Amino acid sequence: MKKRFFGVIMSLVLIAAMLTGCAGSGSKSAAEQLDQQGVVDIPVNNDQKTPAGTSSDGNTAKGTDLSERVDLVFYVMGDAPKDEELVEAALNEKLIEKCNATVDMQFSTWTEFQQKYANEITSQGADLIYIANWLNYGLLASQGAFVELDDMLNTVAPELKAMVGDNMLNMCKVDGKIYAVPNTWAEYVSNGLKYREDLRVKYNLPVPDSLENLEAYLAGIKANDPTQGLLTVTTEESQGFKTAFDAAWVLNFKYPWVNANGLDYGLTANYDTPSDVYDYWFSTDFEDDMKMLKRWADQGFWSKSALSDTNNSDAYKNGLCVAEVAGQNPNKQITAIADFTNAGEGWQSAYIAYGEKHNVIYPGHATQNGTAIVRGCKNPERALLVLQALLCDDEINSIMQYGIKGVHYTVENGIYKNLQEEKGETVTFPYEGFNTWNLRNGATKLPQATDVELQKMFDKYAEIGSKTKFPNVNIYDGFSENYETYSAERSAVSNVMRQYLAPFEAGLVDDVDAAIAEFRTKVKDAGLDKCREEYKKQWLDYCNEYNYK
Amino acid sequence: MNNKPKAAPTAIKKSAGTRVFNGISYVLLAFGAIVCVLPFIIIVSGSFTDNVTILKQGYSLFPRDFTLEAYRTIFRSPKDIIQAYKMNVYYTVVGTSIGLTMIALTGYVISRQEFKYRNTVSFLIYFTSIFGGGMIPWYLMYANVLNLKGHTLAIWFPALMSPFLVILMRTFIVGAVPNAITESAKIDGAGHFTIFFRIVLPVLKAGLATVGLFLALGYWNDWYRSSMFSTNSSTWQLQFYLYDLLNATTAMKQMASNVSMKTADLPTESVKLAMAVVATGPVLLFYPFVQRFFVSGITVGAVKG
Repeated sequence: MKKRFFGVIMSLVLIAAMLTGCAGSGSKSAAEQLDQQGVVDIPVNNDQKTPAGTSSDGNTAKGTDLSERVDLVFYVMGDAPKDEELVEAALNEKLIEKCNATVDMQFSTWTEFQQKYANEITSQGADLIYIANWLNYGLLASQGAFVELDDMLNTVAPELKAMVGDNMLNMCKVDGKIYAVPNTWAEYVSNGLKYREDLRVKYNLPVPDSLENLEAYLAGIKANDPTQGLLTVTTEESQGFKTAFDAAWVLNFKYPWVNANGLDYGLTANYDTPSDVYDYWFSTDFEDDMKMLKRWADQGFWSKSALSDTNNSDAYKNGLCVAEVAGQNPNKQITAIADFTNAGEGWQSAYIAYGEKHNVIYPGHATQNGTAIVRGCKNPERALLVLQALLCDDEINSIMQYGIKGVHYTVENGIYKNLQEEKGETVTFPYEGFNTWNLRNGATKLPQATDVELQKMFDKYAEIGSKTKFPNVNIYDGFSENYETYSAERSAVSNVMRQYLAPFEAGLVDDVDAAIAEFRTKVKDAGLDKCREEYKKQWLDYCNEYNYK
Repeated sequence: MNNKPKAAPTAIKKSAGTRVFNGISYVLLAFGAIVCVLPFIIIVSGSFTDNVTILKQGYSLFPRDFTLEAYRTIFRSPKDIIQAYKMNVYYTVVGTSIGLTMIALTGYVISRQEFKYRNTVSFLIYFTSIFGGGMIPWYLMYANVLNLKGHTLAIWFPALMSPFLVILMRTFIVGAVPNAITESAKIDGAGHFTIFFRIVLPVLKAGLATVGLFLALGYWNDWYRSSMFSTNSSTWQLQFYLYDLLNATTAMKQMASNVSMKTADLPTESVKLAMAVVATGPVLLFYPFVQRFFVSGITVGAVKG
């Protein structure tokens, strides 16, 4: 009798287990959901869970109580440099003098960093943490992962507030409160195209600064050298909800959109009128563009197996392609120049930002690199004070960013030079060795030799950017989408894009019109309208909040 | 007399059906074997090929431009990989020995008929293999509750006992040690430990080898716990060291906007392949000797009575 009863219970329990397994993400914690959305926590781990002293409740007046020493954890991305201990010791020496606090840098490494970032925030293991829009800053902040900084900035760190400026701090506002402090180096992460300048000169081709010229450039090279690979485009940079194939990025030459490749779900808006959202996928422009891409594919600009190829990031460096059109920001151009100089074959790389064509250029959003204080931190005021020291105090900032002067680096003609690299030794602390891109101080940042070239590009873009409707404001990157209510439709739409949109964006179908028609039907069936409705609502709310009209 | 006695047939004559079946089986198995071994051959050959050749011409069965450059790069500053090797050996030895002890003792106890609660205990052990708290509670337990973050304990402790291995051990013991022996030992006045060490353990060699092998391989190949819990690269496991290197390379190349690191310093294709060979080489050499235990271990649970 007892056994039978037990057996029945067991079977019920097993059935329940099967059903909960099928239910999926219903029971996951907020942090796991964050992980799913690619939120990465860059918690800096400290070994100590409780700091040396009690939390400094003290007065939040300017004279913050510094009598108790506090040990903070600063979590950043990437790998630790070899001289982590050495530089940390030097840093902490100065920090104890100034704030009676120490900082322990903890690194997420690049393995499973999304998961670890979420873990750090959940377990509240870090005090200061790196934030970025690609780490779902907006979503995390709205879920309460970070401490509000509004009041503390006024009372504890007015110098920091003055240095960063209200403009930048406002861009870090989520639901009306400031949760992070951005870095102050204006960086242009615009998208563009990099191409082989030497081949252009050799075959006397036009500069590829528009769709027509790009086509002429690629066709010209092909005519002269049929075996030269032209574009090694794949689907790697196009995994989101804007495009499904990298070659479609060239369309940014044609449209003055608010963001590269427009908005999600086939919607888009122009930079000058961000609240005026219109439909791209169901327009005739879309059909013309796809026919153009097919023409390019037929001319052999990319391989027939492009849809199943994986990204070869060394292709450009090794001459397997002559141009790269997707996901190319100015830094990648600088890397390419360095690569070609190292190779010494006389190749030259040139870069054109897509925004130059329509004069729509903007710097990286303030949340590209920032610092936040994790909720649950026992000494938030001290953490903010330390952050102020790290950013504003030149001596401390230099140690943090460059290492120990005379051991790791020196300054020559105002340019940073790594001493070990010069001597050919292993570099134990490279430039920004702690990966603290969030602690860049625009006023005092030491340029590297390669930055000189970069700065020229930035100056050019700064000039263009200052003349746009929202001077030097990055509208799109501050927006974070909350798709919880339509995540099923969203996944379905993504699948349809991968399956039906990619082939004709790659020009690898015979009948473009039929393929487009099929895609349009399928994507509507997948629930596109629901996604669009919600997304549009959120986007318009965002534009209203920041007055992007 | 010309009838010499016919020689007795030395082999059973195979029917045509058997021969066909054998033929097909051999072909399929050969094909399967090639499919399994091919990737490894390509990795080894790639590690001896010049990097530029790999990028331009792809992988091949035999090294095209033979060079030892990749291995030279690895062993130029071998400190990191040697440290990872040392830690891996440490974790494997410590984890396997402690785990094996615990599993053997547990298996013995729940195999004893006189243990009143053995069904409850077995059920509790089975239960954990079906229901788990999930990844976040697991992490919080080790990081916050037990405060083991950064400690080497966090890397080998979580994998000491797995329900599957405990049940496997129990089945071994039940199968290998008949009740009669232990009962007679008890009648002769042997205590529990005596029975365990002098009667059960000696006949358990195959079981110990199997479970030990499973444990050791699990420890050798693990990287996840290093990823989650270590705060210092000196406690990393070997596989994590390699995996992280690959990820760092990929991440750097994609994030050139934030990182000012020169991508020229990142490991090239041939170096990645050479690292894979260096990490798996020793296991490959060790495996043929203990392979038979794997096969017998997996099937032992299937035989009842």
